Parts: sequence; structure tokens; C-alpha cells
Amino acid sequence: MIDERQEELATLYALDLIEGEERSAFEQELSADARLQRLVVELRDSASSLARLAVVRPPDSLRARILADLDQSAPQTGQSEDRSRPNAALSRFRAFVPWAMAAGLAVVAAWQAQRLATLSGELQLARTESELANLSRRSVQNQLEAERIVLLRETADLGGKLAAADGELVALTRRMKEEGALANLKITALASMLNNTPQAHAVAVWDPNRQEGVLTVEKLPALMPSQDYQLWVVDPQYPNPVDGGVFTVDPQSGEARMTFKAKQRVGAVNAFAVTLERKGGVPKAEGPFVLLGK
Amino acid sequence: MAILLPCLSAGLVCAMEASHAAGRVQVRMTSPRSTPPPEEDRERVDAQLLMRVAGGDRDAFTEIYGRFSGPLYGTALRILQDAAEAQDVVHDGFLAIWNKASTYETSRGTAFSWALTMVRNRAIDRLRMRRRRQELLAEAPTTDTEHLSTDAGPSGGDVAANQDEAQAVRAAVASLPMEQQRALELAFFSGLTQEQIATKLREPLGTVKARIRRGLIKLRSTLTRP
Repeated sequence: MIDERQEELATLYALDLIEGEERSAFEQELSADARLQRLVVELRDSASSLARLAVVRPPDSLRARILADLDQSAPQTGQSEDRSRPNAALSRFRAFVPWAMAAGLAVVAAWQAQRLATLSGELQLARTESELANLSRRSVQNQLEAERIVLLRETADLGGKLAAADGELVALTRRMKEEGALANLKITALASMLNNTPQAHAVAVWDPNRQEGVLTVEKLPALMPSQDYQLWVVDPQYPNPVDGGVFTVDPQSGEARMTFKAKQRVGAVNAFAVTLERKGGVPKAEGPFVLLGK
Repeated sequence: MAILLPCLSAGLVCAMEASHAAGRVQVRMTSPRSTPPPEEDRERVDAQLLMRVAGGDRDAFTEIYGRFSGPLYGTALRILQDAAEAQDVVHDGFLAIWNKASTYETSRGTAFSWALTMVRNRAIDRLRMRRRRQELLAEAPTTDTEHLSTDAGPSGGDVAANQDEAQAVRAAVASLPMEQQRALELAFFSGLTQEQIATKLREPLGTVKARIRRGLIKLRSTLTRP
């Protein structure tokens, strides 16, 4: 039974459409299957019939050329057929042997000359094709080399970019950590408590890990030489605000910036306050509140 | 002189006889002969002639040439699209027929099919070699698609016999679906590989294989039907 796969291969084989290993494998299969062989023959004959749709009369010159060349090209079995002819004919033929040999030699010489010319042409063609193939191969090699160099450069660039990316990643990580630390900071805006300078304000930033902070103030009134501003940190664990230190402001702008530390350890910050105190500060707030922020 | 031009690819299965007279081409539709010779007789005669050729019979060879040269040359021309190259291929093919006629076995197919193989394989080999060259040189393919010869060709009887057979083949091909006709045409005349045919048709390889298989099986069935 011929299955669909065999039928398909037989079809393609009949049309000379399979090559290489697939062809060898099918031919092996074919050699052992008479039915498959019959199918291939029938398919090949059917395919050949398509040539009947492409009939074109060749020129008479082609016919003449072919017939002329037949004289120089005897059929393979023609000699054995000739040997089976009657002896009389053979004897007649022998009478003309010298002439036939001479003619034969002439024909062979002519044929050899034509063959030589043909082979030379084919050799030249093969050389040309070989040169073209070599040119093509060299071109491809050059292209590959160029692509290799470009790839090497791109690889180097990528390595640099990767290193830079690593650096950025490290910096980003550090910044993230810092920002994480920032998240723990207590940042408080302090508003003015003074009627005559309502525009005064300040920002206090407290780092509980480091137990220190930064205070920035603006537009505070200038101080008398006997006075200081004093910062207080309000921590609920203590009955009185914790001393944050004293500071003065620029008399012209009313600005000041100072780093401060609390005199006691601060757990939680409820508020920041700035009071006006005598020079050098006091242990407990006594003067009026100047700024307050929670 | 007359040339039969096939119209297979357009799905319009037809044949036109073009005559070339006084430098002008005339095309007219041909009509089928009323009494075509039996196919078996034709194949038997072909085989007998080939056996005579194997014995060195020039007359038999001349007769074989008259019977086969039209379709063989047409096939080579269709494949190569170049008259000079097609003539070279047919020349070499007929010399191979002359030299190797003794190797023909009737069990391996018809004499015509055997002879066609001699020419078609040479044409496809030459076409593929040309394509490789063109790929290297990046040349455009030749487009010499129509060749009209002014020389005399086979006898009127041979042309008529070819027409008879062509009529039967045309009818068989016409019964195939269009896509099978197209696939078969490319498989037989283009010299392309299966993959190249699939690419040209923009269809999966499996689909193309199936179309070729179904088309050729159906063609066989139609042509061998009593």
C-alpha cells in the first residue's frame, strides 16, 4: 500500500524536485518497492505530457546541426548491432577499410579539435566563475571582518555603558539610602509669633539618628547686643523643652543658619520653638516666643 | 511555419498556432483533429523507433526528431527563455538520445518521457548555472521569452500529432484547480526548487507540495483513463 508520504515523494521525484539525502533515501525505498517504482514511472510520464503544451518548432538549422554531428557520434550499442550483420556485408566493408580508417581519423581529428575548443571555452568559463566566486568570497570576508570590528567596538561601548550604569546604580542606591534617611528626618516650618514681623519664618530639620539638626531662619528682627535667640525642642518625654542652643541673625537680612544639638537625648519631636532670651541663653525658656512650628 | 504557444499559467488552457510569414506574425486558434491516433500506438511506435536508433538507424533518428523536437525544444525554450541556449540544450539532448538509446527500457516509462528527461535536465542544469552567475554578477535575468523561427520544422503530420496529444493534455490540465495548475507549471517549467516555488507562490512549503501531488496524481488519472 502506497501511503500519502510515499505518493508525495514519488511526485516530487518524478518532477526532479527532491535532492540530496532526501533523494537518496527515497531511491533506496524505491529500489525495494515495485509498486512505488510503477507509480514513479506513471507520474513521470504524466509530467512529461506537460511538454505537449509547450510545443515550439525548432529551426531547421538545428536539425541539420544535430544530423551533422551524428556522424561523429556513434550509438553505444550500434557497433554490437553492426557486428551481427552477415559476413558478405562485412567483407564488402573490409574492402573499404583503409579509406574508412582515413576518413575516420579525419573525423576523429575534427571532432577532437572541436572538443578541444569546447573544453577550452568551458575551462575559461569555469575559471571566470571561479574568479567571480573568489571575488564574492573575499567581498563576504571583508564584510564579515568589518562587521566583526564594528561588533567589537559596540561591545567595548556596551562595556563602558555597563560600567557607567553600574556606577549610576551605586550612586542611585546611595542616594536612595540617603533619601531613606531623609524620610526619617523631622522637618518643621516655624511661623512668626510676632505681630510686628509676621513675615519672619524658619525651617528646622531634625535627624533623630544623629541627634542633631539644622535651623534656617529669615527676616527675624535684629537683636540687641544683650540678647540672643534660643531654640527649643519640644519632646513629650520631658516636662520642659530641651535647649537647642542660641543664635543671632544678620542685622540687615534677619537671616541665620546653624547646626544645633539638643542638650538632652530627644526621642520624639512634637514642635520647635524660638524664644528671645538674654545673651548666652537660659536653661529654661523665659522670654517671649518668636517662632513656633509643630 | 507554425508554433504552438501554451497558455497554461493564466488558467486559460489554450493553444495558439502562430505562423510567421513575410515577417509578420499571425495568431489563430487551432481546432482539435477529429481522429487522434491511440495513445498506446504512439508510445509503441516511439519505443520501436528508439530501439532502431539504438541500432544506429539514422532514419529512425530523423523520425524521432520529427516527433519529439517540437515539445522538447518548446520545453527547453520555456525553461531557459533563450532560443540560442534552448537550441544548444536540444542539440546535446538529441546527441545523448542517439548515443544512449540502447539504455532505454520500456519498463521505465515512455520513450518520449525518457527523451524529455535528456533535454529537461540539461535545461534546468543550465538555468541554475546561469542563475548562480547572475547572482554573482547581480545581473537582471534575460527576458527573451518569445522566439519565432523562420526555419522549417517538423512535418505537418508531426505537428498535427503533437496537436492531438496537446489537446488531450490541455483538457486534463483544465480539469485541475487553478492553484494546482500553477504549482505544476512551476514544478515542471521553472527549474525552481520546492522551497523557491513556495516562496514564489507565497504559500507554505507543505501546501505547495500537496498541490503538486494532487495535481500530478489527477493528471495521471485523467490521462490514463480509458
